[in-house]
Amino acid sequence: MIKKLILITILGLLLAGFWASPEFQEIAAGVAIFLFGMLMLEDGFKLFSGGILEKMLTGATRSVPRSMAFGVVSTTLMQSSSLVSVITISFLSAGLISLIGGVGIIFGTNIGTTTGAWLVAGFGLKVNISAFAMPMLAVGIVLVFQSSKYLRGIGYVLAGLGFLFLGIHYMKEGFDAFKDQFDMARFAMTGWRGLIIYTLIGMAATVVMQSSHATLVLIITALAAGQVSYENALALAIGANIGTTVTAVIAAFSANYQGKRLALAHFIFNVSTAVVALVFIAQIRDLVDWISNGVGIAPDDFSLKLAVFHTVFNVIGVGIMLPWLHRLITLLERVIKTPMPDVSQPKYLSEAVDGFPETIENALHKEVKHLQNNAIELIAHGLNLHRQALYESQDIADTVKRSQATLDIDIGARYDLRVKTLYAAIIDFSTRAGGKDLPPAIMTRIYNLRDSATRIVEAVKAIKHMRRNATAFTRVDKGKSTEIYNGLRTEIARILVEIHKLDDAAPGSQSALWLDEERIQVGRDKANTAKMIESLIRNGEIDPIAATSFLNDSTYAYLAMESLIEAGRIYYVEAETAIAEVEHILTIEDDEQDEIAAEHKTDIKPAHTAPDQ
Amino acid sequence: MALKKYVAKLNDYYERLEQGKAHKFDPSHVAKVKQKLLAKEDQLINEIADADKPEKIERLQGKLAIARTQIERADWLLEAITGDDTPPEA
Repeated sequence: MIKKLILITILGLLLAGFWASPEFQEIAAGVAIFLFGMLMLEDGFKLFSGGILEKMLTGATRSVPRSMAFGVVSTTLMQSSSLVSVITISFLSAGLISLIGGVGIIFGTNIGTTTGAWLVAGFGLKVNISAFAMPMLAVGIVLVFQSSKYLRGIGYVLAGLGFLFLGIHYMKEGFDAFKDQFDMARFAMTGWRGLIIYTLIGMAATVVMQSSHATLVLIITALAAGQVSYENALALAIGANIGTTVTAVIAAFSANYQGKRLALAHFIFNVSTAVVALVFIAQIRDLVDWISNGVGIAPDDFSLKLAVFHTVFNVIGVGIMLPWLHRLITLLERVIKTPMPDVSQPKYLSEAVDGFPETIENALHKEVKHLQNNAIELIAHGLNLHRQALYESQDIADTVKRSQATLDIDIGARYDLRVKTLYAAIIDFSTRAGGKDLPPAIMTRIYNLRDSATRIVEAVKAIKHMRRNATAFTRVDKGKSTEIYNGLRTEIARILVEIHKLDDAAPGSQSALWLDEERIQVGRDKANTAKMIESLIRNGEIDPIAATSFLNDSTYAYLAMESLIEAGRIYYVEAETAIAEVEHILTIEDDEQDEIAAEHKTDIKPAHTAPDQ
Repeated sequence: MALKKYVAKLNDYYERLEQGKAHKFDPSHVAKVKQKLLAKEDQLINEIADADKPEKIERLQGKLAIARTQIERADWLLEAITGDDTPPEA
């Protein structure tokens, strides 16, 4: 309701302004064109995602200076601190960068964003900027219609810059014409009152336009036209610095706790910087005058001096906050605590990770692992087994045989709570990802992860079906029936242990090929099941009723085993696609097992030595 | 028959590569996979050495045979892509 009221108010004020002054129309249109240009820039840079941007971001945050440098460079290139902040929050929510790396980037963006003021004051106001805008727009639009994603990206960026320049041109023209009609400088205020009020105006303007760049351009063009005093322009710039944190705060609503921490860090940093700038404004002004003299800026070139001021107070802010960085991180972790994990809810899938291919894939990968963990717990408990006992066991068959006590669980309820919820979230997330224009390789991996999740759920459902009989035949010793059911439990337990070994292996050392051994063993045992049961019936070792139960349950058991192995094979496949090709060629098929058994000796000495690398 | 399947997979890879549907790998990729298989072989040898139950030893030996087959194929693949392009006779 409040949002609608704000919208109506803004539209009303705009219409009133248009009616009152044609020059106001030109300024407003200039702002609109400028903002449109920023949107196109954002779309353009997003088209480069799916590789370059993400690789740069994850590599750039290995240290605080590197993070800061990344923040400065990326904001300068993209001319949008909001875009960089939103990207950083997404990556942080997906767990691809650390909180301290993210805060470093935010420090950098605050310095990088000051280049916008330099662009306008140093170039935009001094040349006929529209002459540059026209060809950029024409070429950019042609490229936007190309089929190549990267050409379209370049097109959007060029056209975006063109609109930026055009917007600056109209704002400049608008203010020049405006000053003949209406002298806003009459509203200049001095002293603390002026400082506070104009800071609040700058903040409000930035919140409304959702762009500190747009506010800075407005301030600089108004200042150049004499529509606002230098002193008040400084306060407006300080206000714009606070207002820009609102975008990050809004982005953090859909982020996880890490994203929220980063938004809070952004807010704390910018507000602190603003307070310091306000308190020491006289001293900073003197510093600006000194620097301006030093670099040859004319004493009455207030636009450029504003750009110097904007850079200086942000650099001072970073200089003050940097020694307190680790304490800031501690404060953030204390104020926004790490939530207790609710294993029944998705942990990694959120709107904040929706924006970029790498964050989408990474979040989905982690969530499928989350599902796998929940499923394995349920499978073990469904068979009255304890995972830790299995993982530590030197003799799995013996551990299974001794696990006779029935675990009191409602497997149906637990499935609904801890498996079905996550599976539904994974399906929803991956389906929505399918509607985005993601690189084909990433899309393939997303669909594969979805398939892995499906196989995991199949495994759990199969265990649900066999739990009753598996429990009945193993809680007390019923001779051969108990033995064969324990055989099934043991085989399933071995697969759980193999998956655990894959998880435990050092990153990069695991291979989906390790599961070939289990898969072949399962195939062999499944093929022998019917013969084995026939033999037991003929020998009178089990009665026909128990035999039919077992045959039925063995179908479920082997389905569970095959599903777990296939899920693992998909999940642990190499992310590096060339290595995945190699693994595919080396995979042993089910019907090759007899030949392999005949070919190989059982000599335990190694057949190969490690190759020289 | 095992060799036939391996050869068929390799030929399928070359066909897909020509059509631009496969990711090209080089000897370093094969070497990386072989390293992982060798690590598994060592693990299995150690497990066999520690095992005392005949059924467990038999099962682990079966797994070892598979790991060694995979290592052997990795060697064939290395030969196929580095020197001799002719796959082994099926």
